[in-house]
Amino acid sequence: MPIISIEHLKYKYPGTDRLVLDDISLSIEKGEFIGIIGKNGAGKSTLSQAIIGLVPQFYNGAYGGSVLVDGLRAESVPVGEMCEHVGLVFQNPFNQLSGARDTVYGEVAFGLQNLGVEREEMKNRIERVLKQLDIWQYRDRNPFDLSGGQMQRVAIAGILVMQPDVMILDEPTSQLDPQGTEEVFRVVDALTKTGITIIMIEQKLEKMADYCDRLVLMHEGKVVDFDTPERIFSREDLEKLGVQPPAFTRICRSLGWKQPDGTYPATLSATLRVFDEHKSDINWKEKLKSYQRSGHQQPDAQGSGTTPIANDAFQNLFRVRDLRFSYSKEAEIFDGLNLGLDDRATAIIGQNGAGKTTLVRLLKGLLKPVSGEIYFREQDISGKTVAMLASDIGYVFQNPDDQIFKYHVLDEVMFGPLNIGMDLSRARENAEKALELMGLRGKEEENPYDLEMSERKMVAIASVLAMDTDVIILDEPNIAQDYEGKKRIGTMIHELSKNGKLVIAILHDMDFVAEYFERVIVMAHGSILADGNADEVFCQDEVLEEAKLQKPYITQLYERLMIQ
Amino acid sequence: MKSISLYVDRGSWLNRLHPYTKLLYILTAIGIPLIGGKLWLFPFLIGCSLCLLISAKTLRQTLPLIGFSFTVIIVIFLIQGLFNHQNQQLLFSVGFLRFYKEGILYATRIGCNILNMLLSFAVFILTTSPQELVDELEKSGFSPKFGYIINSVFQILPQMMATKDTIMDAQRSRGLETEGNLMVRMKAFLPLISPVVMSALTNTRERSIALEVRGFGRKQKKTWLSDRPKHKEDRVIRVILIVLILATVVWRILSCR
Repeated sequence: MPIISIEHLKYKYPGTDRLVLDDISLSIEKGEFIGIIGKNGAGKSTLSQAIIGLVPQFYNGAYGGSVLVDGLRAESVPVGEMCEHVGLVFQNPFNQLSGARDTVYGEVAFGLQNLGVEREEMKNRIERVLKQLDIWQYRDRNPFDLSGGQMQRVAIAGILVMQPDVMILDEPTSQLDPQGTEEVFRVVDALTKTGITIIMIEQKLEKMADYCDRLVLMHEGKVVDFDTPERIFSREDLEKLGVQPPAFTRICRSLGWKQPDGTYPATLSATLRVFDEHKSDINWKEKLKSYQRSGHQQPDAQGSGTTPIANDAFQNLFRVRDLRFSYSKEAEIFDGLNLGLDDRATAIIGQNGAGKTTLVRLLKGLLKPVSGEIYFREQDISGKTVAMLASDIGYVFQNPDDQIFKYHVLDEVMFGPLNIGMDLSRARENAEKALELMGLRGKEEENPYDLEMSERKMVAIASVLAMDTDVIILDEPNIAQDYEGKKRIGTMIHELSKNGKLVIAILHDMDFVAEYFERVIVMAHGSILADGNADEVFCQDEVLEEAKLQKPYITQLYERLMIQ
Repeated sequence: MKSISLYVDRGSWLNRLHPYTKLLYILTAIGIPLIGGKLWLFPFLIGCSLCLLISAKTLRQTLPLIGFSFTVIIVIFLIQGLFNHQNQQLLFSVGFLRFYKEGILYATRIGCNILNMLLSFAVFILTTSPQELVDELEKSGFSPKFGYIINSVFQILPQMMATKDTIMDAQRSRGLETEGNLMVRMKAFLPLISPVVMSALTNTRERSIALEVRGFGRKQKKTWLSDRPKHKEDRVIRVILIVLILATVVWRILSCR
């Protein structure tokens, strides 16, 4: 008997006309690892919340069909009861902490206390789970003091300890840095071996291909397909549905390398297996190279493959000289940093705490150096206020909700331009252009708070673009974006760069960096470890190791093939 | 994390005491001078609280509180000493300011009252973890929802204060002037406060889901990670405090005859 069986599930949020879930039928067996993929707005999160009963119990709205978990009707069994059978972990680790416990240990106990679990049992379970998730050493720390990855593991522990039969993970890594992501995936890895049924929503499809027994492909509230990762990723219409197959599948497709069952491989190991059969094809190196050139790098990016890295070949917009900075006396972030930035689109990569955000904040004038100078167009910026620099340097913050405050998208986007003294008609014109570029045309009159997170992020980007600054700094623009969103941001970067603007972005998505940036700066512990174009940077193994960074999947594959 | 709670764990015997015992102390410290009605009872109890604060190694945290209360007390002395409607007997004069005995006496009583309350509350607040207090309240039957509100204020409010700085930077980056004359500041108010409120609201919704999926809404008897170790001191001190209150009542009744 399936552990979850969904029949003809339909659902509309209150006050809307659109069916977010449109006649969904699924059945999931005990112990399966199921992935749900699809573009933003496809209904993935809503489906996961319907399994635990939050839809419709928490949100209300129009509901039809049935969801049975362990034989219980999710529609009517109170969520407080259902949580013994189904656990839910979502994106933002911070909001999942109860906020009522001041130690990790107490936080994890919170759910068990509510379930009325006996004390000895409670202690045993907590110890087991904390050790399983490798956070036992933090048990006496305040959960709010932990890093994102650690916090998310505490959130997972808090659910796992309640011993649900089904665990739902809704993009648990989307707000984490690569190391935090890795930590969480390691935990998920361990979970797969415990026999618990897992349902995971995730945009990192390379990982999904690794873990999942089967994938649910969703589009506009419908289940389009429910099959093995290879079969799903080999679908010809996948990109039309807003999903980009994993790097390995894309490469194999372009090379025409199929598995015996006619599907393309989706993981590195499967690709290597297929490679063994095609080794005899002497042209594979050429084909791979030409694939790399065509898709991997933008054809008309200013010849990034051949750009010399010597800085003096370019006109420097920013010149940083002997920069020193620290937040407190004990920990110095920068100890004599030197850097020039020209108009090449530049990605800054590195782990959290490497000093990336501090650096761009100094460039923007939000922080002042302890000593050393920062020149913008050969002028020292130390005497200028942030507002004075606003018309030259734009900065999009990580979280769009830190800036949105108007009731209409258009007003929000026009706020910056008007602040820096643009007249109304030009501000409007710029705002419309920016909205067009970010794919928000037709949403001018909507309330930003009614938009999805990914769209709000686009609003935030547009609101800075409309200021028409010469420099645009983006802090993790890709968070919460699906394939189409990323592509749109990539195009935007490309477009700005073509118009002679300097784009500086802090990023964690290495494949995206390799694809869209002409210059890559690797940072760790407040210093620059490497600086050059993507090809030059991603072949430096020691540097990447020191900065704890992964290579883009395509580079990984290429190197493995070369070795073989 | 910066905490807004004043509690500090110094491992003292007051930290180990049950929160209710310390609450009873507040009741005693405020009640005795009120029931007894004698002015000399105040310095006695203020002295008691000070001794307790010293033994709990928290006197330093109390000093700013005392400093602040003194500014209030001085104002009371000035106003009452000069203008109390019962003022008759001149006590002393400074230049043209004439202070009267009745007013000064009245002000002394109020001042002592303030100081006494403040210090007895300080004994409680500085040595009691809010978490422990709420746990004990819940164990004796208070609603967990009420407890959650108190607890989360201590945990979540500091987080909200931290996002405020980021929001300020984000708006300044878009050319918003946040410093200058009153008009400039007033114009900056909305762009700064709306994101704080809105993100607090969205966070609240997410958090209430998170609580729900951890069984917070269940009507079930909760279990606890630990019982408080029972200290002999608790019982002894409670008995002494109750005896003191009763003795004061009896003494007052006898002295009225």
